[in-house]
Amino acid sequence: MNIVGISACTSGIAHTYIAKEKLVKVGQELGHNVRIETQGTIGVEDELTAEEIKNADLVIIAADIKVSGKERFKDKRVVEIPTELAIKAPKQLYKKIEAELHTNK
Amino acid sequence: MLKKLQLKKHALTAISYMLPLVVASGLLIAIGNLAGGQVIENYKESFTVASALTSLGVLGMGLLAPVISAGIAYSIADRPGIAPGLLMGLIANAIGAGFLGGMLGGYLVGYFIVFLKNHIKVPKWAEGLLPMMIIPLISSLVIGLLIFFVLGVPIVWATEGLTSFLTSMQGSTKFVFGAIMGGMAAFDFGGPVNKVASLFADGLLLEGIYEPEAVKILASMVPPFGVTISWVLSKVFKKRKYSPKEEENIKIAFPMGICMITEGVIPIAAVDIVRVVTSCTLGAAVGGGLSMMWDIGSPVPSGGMFIVPAMNHPLLFLLALSIGSLVTGIMLFLWKKEPTDDEDSYFDDEEEFDLSSIKIS
Repeated sequence: MNIVGISACTSGIAHTYIAKEKLVKVGQELGHNVRIETQGTIGVEDELTAEEIKNADLVIIAADIKVSGKERFKDKRVVEIPTELAIKAPKQLYKKIEAELHTNK
Repeated sequence: MLKKLQLKKHALTAISYMLPLVVASGLLIAIGNLAGGQVIENYKESFTVASALTSLGVLGMGLLAPVISAGIAYSIADRPGIAPGLLMGLIANAIGAGFLGGMLGGYLVGYFIVFLKNHIKVPKWAEGLLPMMIIPLISSLVIGLLIFFVLGVPIVWATEGLTSFLTSMQGSTKFVFGAIMGGMAAFDFGGPVNKVASLFADGLLLEGIYEPEAVKILASMVPPFGVTISWVLSKVFKKRKYSPKEEENIKIAFPMGICMITEGVIPIAAVDIVRVVTSCTLGAAVGGGLSMMWDIGSPVPSGGMFIVPAMNHPLLFLLALSIGSLVTGIMLFLWKKEPTDDEDSYFDDEEEFDLSSIKIS
C-alpha cells in the first residue's frame, strides 16, 4: 500500500520523530511505501505533496495534539492514533489496519 | 461521550504552544535575576539591561493563561477560537483564577464557538461578518460574562485553596506530594503525564509557589542522569548492561539531560520499558520528595543545570538531584539484564496493545 501520514506530539521534539521513524521502518519491512510529515515545534517538515496524497491508499495520523492540514485528506481513508501506539506497537498497528481494510472491502 | 470531547488532546495542544513561551520567559527571568535585574515598575525612569530581561520574562509568564486558553479554544474550534480564547485567559489573570481559569475558559469558549458555527445561519451578505465579528463578539461576551460573574468565583476559591494547602504542608505530606509530582514528571519522559505535572507546576509558579517547579526540573533530569550513572557503574564493574547502540544513545541523552530535556532517554527506555520506567520514576520520586521537604524552590520553570544558581537552595537541589539519580542508576544497574546482541530488538519488542478502538474512517 501507499501510505502517507502526519506525526505530532506535545513537546514536538522527540516523540514526533520517533513515531515517524517507526512507522516508516516497520511499514517498509511489511512492504508498504510510507511517507510521514512531521509537525514538530519547529514547524512542518517533510511536507506531503499533493501527488503523494493523491496516490495514497491510506492516511495515518499519529498525534497527541491537533494537527493542521487535515482537509487535504478529505476523500481518503484515515486512521487516527496517539503517537504512543506508533512508537510502541507499529507492527500490531499495521496488522490491525490490514485486517480492517480486508474485512471492509 | 467524554472520549469524543477529546479533553486531553485539546489540553496537550495548548501545552505544546505554551512550552516555548514558558522556556523563553523562564530563561529570560533567570538571566535577568542572575545579573541583578528586577521587575521594572516605572518605564519612564532609566533601567538596566538585566531589569529589562527580567521584566520581559515576567510579562511572558503573564501570557501563560491567555495562551493556554487560546490554545485549547483553537484546538476545539480552529481559528475562530484564538481571539476569544486569548480574552478568556486575560479574564482568568484579572480575577486571579490562574491557569485553571484559563483552561476552563478555553474549553467553554471553544465548545461554544463550535455550537455557534453549527447553529447560526446568516444571510449571504453577512457571511463575511460571521467569523470576523459575530462569532468572536458573541462567544467572548457570553462566556466572558459567565466567567466574570459565575464560574470565576469557585475557580478563584479552588486556586486559593490549592495555594494555601500547598503552603501549609508540613514534613511527610510535603515528601509525599513531591514524590508524586516527581514520579509523574519522570514517568513518561516528557510525554502527556509529564506535561500534566509540568502544567500544574507552571500554574503554581504564577501563584508565587516555587517548590513544585524545582521538583519538575529535578524529575526531568533524574532519568538521563540515572541512566548515565548505571552505564558508568556497568563500565566500572565491567558488567555489560548496554548494547553499543544503547551506549551511543546514552552519550546523547546525558547532555540533553543537562539542558533538562528528558526525551533522550526514550530510545533506551523503549527497549526495556518496565525496568527503565520503574527505576526512573522511583528515583525521581525520591529526589522530588526530598526537594519538596527541603523547601527548594525555583522561580524559573525551565533550563536545567543552567538555572540552578537562580534557585533558593542550589546546593541542596544538587544533593536531591544526585540522590534521585543515584537511586535510579543503582537500581537500573542491579536490575538490568545483559543485552542480547540483537540490535533490532528496538523494532521487534512490542507490548500487547488493545487496538480494538482503532477505526478507519
